[in-house]
Amino acid sequence: MTEEVRSREEQIVVFELSGQIYGVGIADVWEIIRMEKITRVPKAPEFVEGIINLRGRIVPIIDLRKRFHLPEGEQTKSSRIIIVQVGEMTVGMIVDAVHEVLSVSMDSMKPPPPVVGGVDAEFLRGIVLRDDRLIIMLNLDKVLQKDEQEQLRETQDILKRAAQ
Amino acid sequence: MFSDAEISVFLDELDEKIEVISDGFLQLERAGESPEVVQEIFRAAHTIKGSSAIMGYDKMSALTHEMENLFDRIRQGELRVTSEMIDVLFEALDTLKLLRDKVVGGDADVDIDPIMAKLGKYFRGESDQESGPAESQPLSVSSGGESENEPELTDAEIEIIREALLRGLNAYRIRVILDPDCQMKNVRAFMVFDRLEGMGEVIKSEPPAEQLEEGEFDREFDLVAVSEKTADELRQKILGIAEIEDARVTPVRVSDDEFTSTTSSNAEEEASLAASKTANAAADKKADGPSGMATPKTVRTVRISVDKLDNLMNLVGELVIERTRLDRFAELMESGQKSDELVDTISEISNHLGQVTGNLQDEIMKARMLPINQVFSRFPRMVRDIAHKLGKEINLVIEGRETELDRNIIEIIGEPLLHLVRNAIDHGIETAEERRQLGKPVTGMLKLKAYHEENHIVIIVEDDGRGIDPAKVKQAAIQKGVVDAESAERMSDKDAIDLIFRPGFSTAAEVSDLSGRGVGMDVVRNQIEQINGTVDVKSSPGKGTQFIIKLPLTLAIIRALMVSLANKIYAFPLANVQETIQITCNEIQLVKDREVIVVRGSVLPLVRLAELFGERSEAKDKLSVVIIGTAENMVGVVVDYLIGEQEIVIKSLGKYLGRIPGLSGATILGDGNVALIVDVQALVQEFTRKEDKVSACAS
Repeated sequence: MTEEVRSREEQIVVFELSGQIYGVGIADVWEIIRMEKITRVPKAPEFVEGIINLRGRIVPIIDLRKRFHLPEGEQTKSSRIIIVQVGEMTVGMIVDAVHEVLSVSMDSMKPPPPVVGGVDAEFLRGIVLRDDRLIIMLNLDKVLQKDEQEQLRETQDILKRAAQ
Repeated sequence: MFSDAEISVFLDELDEKIEVISDGFLQLERAGESPEVVQEIFRAAHTIKGSSAIMGYDKMSALTHEMENLFDRIRQGELRVTSEMIDVLFEALDTLKLLRDKVVGGDADVDIDPIMAKLGKYFRGESDQESGPAESQPLSVSSGGESENEPELTDAEIEIIREALLRGLNAYRIRVILDPDCQMKNVRAFMVFDRLEGMGEVIKSEPPAEQLEEGEFDREFDLVAVSEKTADELRQKILGIAEIEDARVTPVRVSDDEFTSTTSSNAEEEASLAASKTANAAADKKADGPSGMATPKTVRTVRISVDKLDNLMNLVGELVIERTRLDRFAELMESGQKSDELVDTISEISNHLGQVTGNLQDEIMKARMLPINQVFSRFPRMVRDIAHKLGKEINLVIEGRETELDRNIIEIIGEPLLHLVRNAIDHGIETAEERRQLGKPVTGMLKLKAYHEENHIVIIVEDDGRGIDPAKVKQAAIQKGVVDAESAERMSDKDAIDLIFRPGFSTAAEVSDLSGRGVGMDVVRNQIEQINGTVDVKSSPGKGTQFIIKLPLTLAIIRALMVSLANKIYAFPLANVQETIQITCNEIQLVKDREVIVVRGSVLPLVRLAELFGERSEAKDKLSVVIIGTAENMVGVVVDYLIGEQEIVIKSLGKYLGRIPGLSGATILGDGNVALIVDVQALVQEFTRKEDKVSACAS
């Protein structure tokens, strides 16, 4: 199987976050939109900015900086929301800028070092080198997975409900 | 005879109730007796009893009557649930299912006498150990290979597995192995349970769930679960939880032969012999399979999940928006460069596209709608039969059968209507003799009427019987401890009549076969409120009673009260809003450190929405308060401003956010902004819990 997989090129959306260049597979990207008014959702996890109306659909928006515990940044004119769809979940991720769509060959992907640019390796798929640039590939499954604390909070909720 | 459509409605309801009963039994077995579960089973049995009697399935009616009696005893605290009793109950449930199969064309003759005898024993309170169900040995269950230390399954559990397999589900043994250095074993175990319950049902665990919850186990535990998912999907889900080293999922198979042979070898008494006959009949039927002669009758329809229809609706929504954009674009082009052929073509396409999308939207809306006749059509026979039984003469008038309603609503509204109609015949309309003496027409009138009114469907159940006497209602309510004499004294006639909707209230002095066990009006109201409807009663003593049910056209669109809080808009579903008032700060009082207000003599807990949602709210002297909940359980919610009423389309917050406490969804406003919908029921529940306990003690 290795032959086929290796020779496969993958199209990726390249974006910037806190000075680093990241990529996500284009197959997971639904669309890219400009920043718009986000309605905050009380009691949602801290990295959830809120929800938006995407042509009649309610889509939750997360702040990738907060998600990765990176220092907070300002929203600028180039800030964008990348709407990704993984499984049954549609989620928008706020990024500093979206650069381009690239075709990269996956056999150049290296496993990620434990921490890249302050981002925990568990969120990463690997690192791709292209024209002297390092592109950090995100592992969307992990990014969109509720983290440990969330799970705990949920469990506590359940326990509380069960106790009533 | 009944039409296919009628039988299909009956079967749908029957299947649903059988499931309720079956779930209830499982819960009783797993978690012990709880009043809610007992009540639920009791109601389900009660409903089946009623509708099967109407349809003329006497055996089913008799069997469920006996089950109802038994659970009534349990409900009253006169009987306790034992594991032996649960076995008998499951047997009764199986017999019920055989009776159900018979409705769809099964030809096996079902003998209910043995199981009736067993149930009757409990009912008459002569349960003697010897004649209890024969103890059968644990069945051999083959699973995919390894069998070390696996939990033995009881008959009941095997029966559940067998059923699950029949329903096309899979059954698995799951061995969960935690990380050696796992910190919170009990939490992990709980999460495994929670995940599995989301995808199916856990029917056994070794060690038992209580021990797992206490963390009293080594690194491993075993589960048996049924689910529609594949083994791999389950495994992945479990592995998604932190600190889980491995999860081995192996399918379970149950063999039919073993089951029947063990049962009959143990059958020493007549009763158990007959029971094994039933089991054999069941097995035979299974063996016949689809090729057998017993092919169930089916109505020629395709069942589509409402989710799919919702998705289609959303897609159409997007289409409409894009169409509008195209339209605007065509207009722009038209005004810029006049009478270009290309521009004309684009406008033409845009127009046509508009029509097609419009039609598409209508069709999809219609796909969710059904004529209310689906529900109404089962009443004529029922009314005739009951009237006959009670020696009353009743003329049933049905109007507006063609009125269409969302299918979700149709599915739910049948039961409350059934109760109302039964009540009207049983308690409302007098006997012919009585009516003659009163100088009324001998034939009583019962009217069912449905019609559109603005954005509602109104259903009226009206009779010209004896009506409801407010004084009698008050008296009965005081007697049952529903209200105290003092507050009853102050009540208006209208409020007094409304007491019939309180839990635990029923004016019928005697238990009849038809209604009047207190399963009545509170359930009716609950069910109607569940679908965002309201029910009102008007009655004049001696002249008759009218129940007015208002239902939304669809469940996806509701009327809501829009309020603002910290410059954001929130929606309160109007069905749950009692009224809005303005108060000044000094009207707020403190009771046990909780803020309360007094509205017309009743004390309501006060909730500041801003505090609850972590928003900054303006400090004002006058506060706007939305009073939510039901007449018995009200909560005042402080908001910044009231905006007004509006129709909103309910959207879920999506899978990623899941359940957010205090919110039930979101909606999109006319200007494209998003408003959050407040979960009123949860709020009321949370903030009136204390009061609940008080009233529970009183009743």
